[in-house]
Amino acid sequence: MDFNFDIIWGYLPLFLRGTLYTIGFSIASIILGSILGLGIGFGRMLKSPLWRWPFDVYVNIFRGTPLYVQILIVHFGLVPFLYGSTNALISGVVALSLNSAAYAAEIFRAGIQSVDSGQREAALSLGMTRRQSMRFVVLPQAIKRMVPAFGNEFIVLVKDSSLLALVAAPEIMYWGNTMKGQYMRIWEPYLTAAVIYFILTYSLNKLLAYIERRM
Amino acid sequence: MKTRNKWILSALIAILVLAIAGCGSDNANNASSASNTGSSAAETNAPETVVKFASDATYAPMEYMDKDTIKGFDIDFIAAVMEEAGMKYEVVNTGWDTMLQSVQQGTEYQAGLSAVSITDERKQTYDFSIPYFESTNMIMVKEGSDIKSALDLKDKTVAVQTATTADELMSKIMGVGNTKLKRFDSNAVAMMELDNGGADAVVADIAIVREYIKNNPKMKLVGIKDTPNFGSEYYGILFPKGSELKAKLDPAIQKVIENGKYEEIYKKWFGEAPDLTNLKNAK
Repeated sequence: MDFNFDIIWGYLPLFLRGTLYTIGFSIASIILGSILGLGIGFGRMLKSPLWRWPFDVYVNIFRGTPLYVQILIVHFGLVPFLYGSTNALISGVVALSLNSAAYAAEIFRAGIQSVDSGQREAALSLGMTRRQSMRFVVLPQAIKRMVPAFGNEFIVLVKDSSLLALVAAPEIMYWGNTMKGQYMRIWEPYLTAAVIYFILTYSLNKLLAYIERRM
Repeated sequence: MKTRNKWILSALIAILVLAIAGCGSDNANNASSASNTGSSAAETNAPETVVKFASDATYAPMEYMDKDTIKGFDIDFIAAVMEEAGMKYEVVNTGWDTMLQSVQQGTEYQAGLSAVSITDERKQTYDFSIPYFESTNMIMVKEGSDIKSALDLKDKTVAVQTATTADELMSKIMGVGNTKLKRFDSNAVAMMELDNGGADAVVADIAIVREYIKNNPKMKLVGIKDTPNFGSEYYGILFPKGSELKAKLDPAIQKVIENGKYEEIYKKWFGEAPDLTNLKNAK
């Protein structure tokens, strides 16, 4: 296999710009997805099935359909409907956030429900209100258990953002495709993209391990 | 308990059978599509090799899938060429990336047939046949647009298909790193972007643009030709470097273009006679 490093050097500035977009998409989506996911997660824990129903539907739809399809629907359906025209940056953040929210909701729910119900009962018997027992007893324990799952979700999100090349969002994979198009070679662009994604997720891994140790 | 196990077992067997049946019918389809494309002579026992062409069949009317059969101008053209050359062949829809890589290796597929334009950059990695088709790029806009030529596109948002000469031309005009130049996986998606207001224009091969305008009369689209800025380009068959097949196919291509067969196929797909003067002079 002949590997032409010259064409990689030529595209490196674009790849770096794409990396910034990938990071931006991932951070924005994990934040928005977590906020949305928190609400949905609590919704999933409601007692009344009638109130719980829409949240269940949300999680099932977004976990049950491929992100590939979700991106296309958001880009060519939802965003033009709300924004007036397509916009890859908005579509990217919206699609990834909506998708990530479904997984975040499950992480929140699992984390909170993993705390033994005896803890809550003990807090209540000490005279705490339901809100206080959630805030001071259950959540601190739950959050610690959520960290690894969240780290996992963040890493998946970084990699999944590569699908945004589909709607011409200028992230890493997009520039990989562009490079492939100009030279009609596939190893140089794909391996370069793979290396960049690996560096991103590996550093993220290290960061998460550090946070976990500190908690 | 026992009956439940039986149920599970028979369900598993049913799935297995379906899976195997699926594979079987798949093979049958491949075989039939191969014979459809003209290699019906493959029944003879002579151990003659079959030339396998890889193609990205998402480029109507040049090559596209009609259900599970590959069709298009290129497919009819190669049928005429291979008949002229007296060789057996098969065209397989592999997608663009697989075509690029496997033709470069030249083991599974010995050639690529996919409306590939001949460019100097591509010649560094592949050999090309003599030109067999003259094309140019065309701008597609919505009716009432103020875009009149390629130079008007400089500060507009333009959608193209990645890896096409439209991508290359617009990269030169707008700059490779320009984010107003949006590259999509296929022309169909690029055209959806135009329809949804995310792009002011689409640039693509003239045959593709005409086909799209014809198929979507409600969208009120206009095609703009710009010969000075988008020069002629020529499609060639893609070979691995140093391929011996090129020497065999080039004379056959020449023959097909000269003996009227080409004109017949061209009329079938484009409804008009081709102007062959440029093509015959192109190198």
